[in-house]
Amino acid sequence: MLRNTATNWGSVAKALHWSMAVLILAQLVLGVLAVGWRMSPTKLDLFVWHKSLGMLLLVAVLLRITWRWVNPTPALPPELPAWERAAARIGHALLYVLMLVLPLTGWLLNSAAAIPLRVFWLVPLPPLIAPDEALGDTLARVHDAAALLLVVLLVLHVAAALRHHWVRRNVVLSRMLPGRHA
Amino acid sequence: MNARFARAGFVALFAAAGLCAAGAARAADWRSDAAGSSLGFVATFEGNAVAGTFRQFDVRLRLDASGAAPGSLDVLVTVTSADMKIADVNREIRGKPWFDYAGFPAAEFHSTDVHRVQGDAFVARGTLLLKGVRQPVEVPFTWNESGNGATLQGELTLQRGAFGIGTGEWAAADVIGADVKVRYAVRLVRAG
Repeated sequence: MLRNTATNWGSVAKALHWSMAVLILAQLVLGVLAVGWRMSPTKLDLFVWHKSLGMLLLVAVLLRITWRWVNPTPALPPELPAWERAAARIGHALLYVLMLVLPLTGWLLNSAAAIPLRVFWLVPLPPLIAPDEALGDTLARVHDAAALLLVVLLVLHVAAALRHHWVRRNVVLSRMLPGRHA
Repeated sequence: MNARFARAGFVALFAAAGLCAAGAARAADWRSDAAGSSLGFVATFEGNAVAGTFRQFDVRLRLDASGAAPGSLDVLVTVTSADMKIADVNREIRGKPWFDYAGFPAAEFHSTDVHRVQGDAFVARGTLLLKGVRQPVEVPFTWNESGNGATLQGELTLQRGAFGIGTGEWAAADVIGADVKVRYAVRLVRAG
C-alpha cells in the first residue's frame, strides 16, 4: 500500500524516509569533505555534489511534508509516557525544520558568495539574494551550526528508534522497515 | 656630377616628404579613454560561464582607416586589476597557478600589422605576452569612427593552457574550461 494508515507507514513514506536517510548521511560526509579539502578541482567537484544533493533533498523534503500532510500519521503506542510523546513530537518537528533550513541556508550562502551553480552540472540554480560576502559568512556559520544540530538530533533519533525496538519492544522501528507491517 | 647628385637628392627628399605627408594624412593615432572602455573575459567553472574584467588597461592604436597602410596596436593590461566578482575566486586567481600577480602583474600585446579585412572589420596580428609566455594572437575588431572619437570592439578566444594559466591539476579542462573568451569594447580618442 502506498498510503499511510492509522497504524502503518505506507511505501511512499518509507521510501522517502530511507532514501532521505541515505542522502542526508552522504550529504553530511560530502559537506565535511568539501569544506576540509585543499583547494583543487576535487574540492570544487565535492561542492557541486554537496550542493546538488542539497537541492535534491530540498525537493524531497517538500514532497515528504506534503505527503505527511495528506496522509494519516501512524499513532505512537498508547503505553508511551507523556514526556516521550512530547520528545518525539519536538524531535521530529526539529528534524523537519532542519531538513528545510539546511538546503535553504546552503542556497542562500551560495547566492551571497556569488558562486554560480548548475545542479548536477545540468540545471542552473538562480541566486536567491544579491552577493554579500559578510552575509555569506554569517549564513555559512548558521549552516554549519544547523548541520551540527542535525547530527545531534539524528543520533537521538536512531537511539530512540533502537530503544523503542529493544527496550520498549514496540512496533515504532519495525513498522518503518521496508516490507514490514505492524 | 654635383648637380646630378643634388637633383637626385632633392627628388628623394621630395618623395620622402610626400610619403610622410600621405602617411600622416591617412593614419591617425589613438589612445583609449578608460571611462568608456571595457576589457572582459569569460571563463567556465563547473559548466557555468563566469565573467571577469580587467579594470585597468591602456590601448594605443595607429590606424589607417582606409586600410592602405598597416597600423600598429599596443595594449598594456594591468593583470592585477582583474575582477571576477566572486570574492573566493578573486582570492584564488592572484595565486601562482593562475595569474600569479606577484610574478606577472602586467600583460602586453603588440602588433605592427593592423590591417583592414573588409568594411569596418580589421585584424591586428601580433604577440601577446601573458604570464611570461609570448604567443602569436590575432585580435579582430570592428572600427567605428565618429567625430573625434572611435570605438574598437570584438572578441577572441584564448586557450588558457597556452599561457600556463591554471597549472598542475588545474590544467585539465573539465572543472575550469580550456577556452577563455576575451571581449573588448574600447572607446578611443585622438592622441596628439
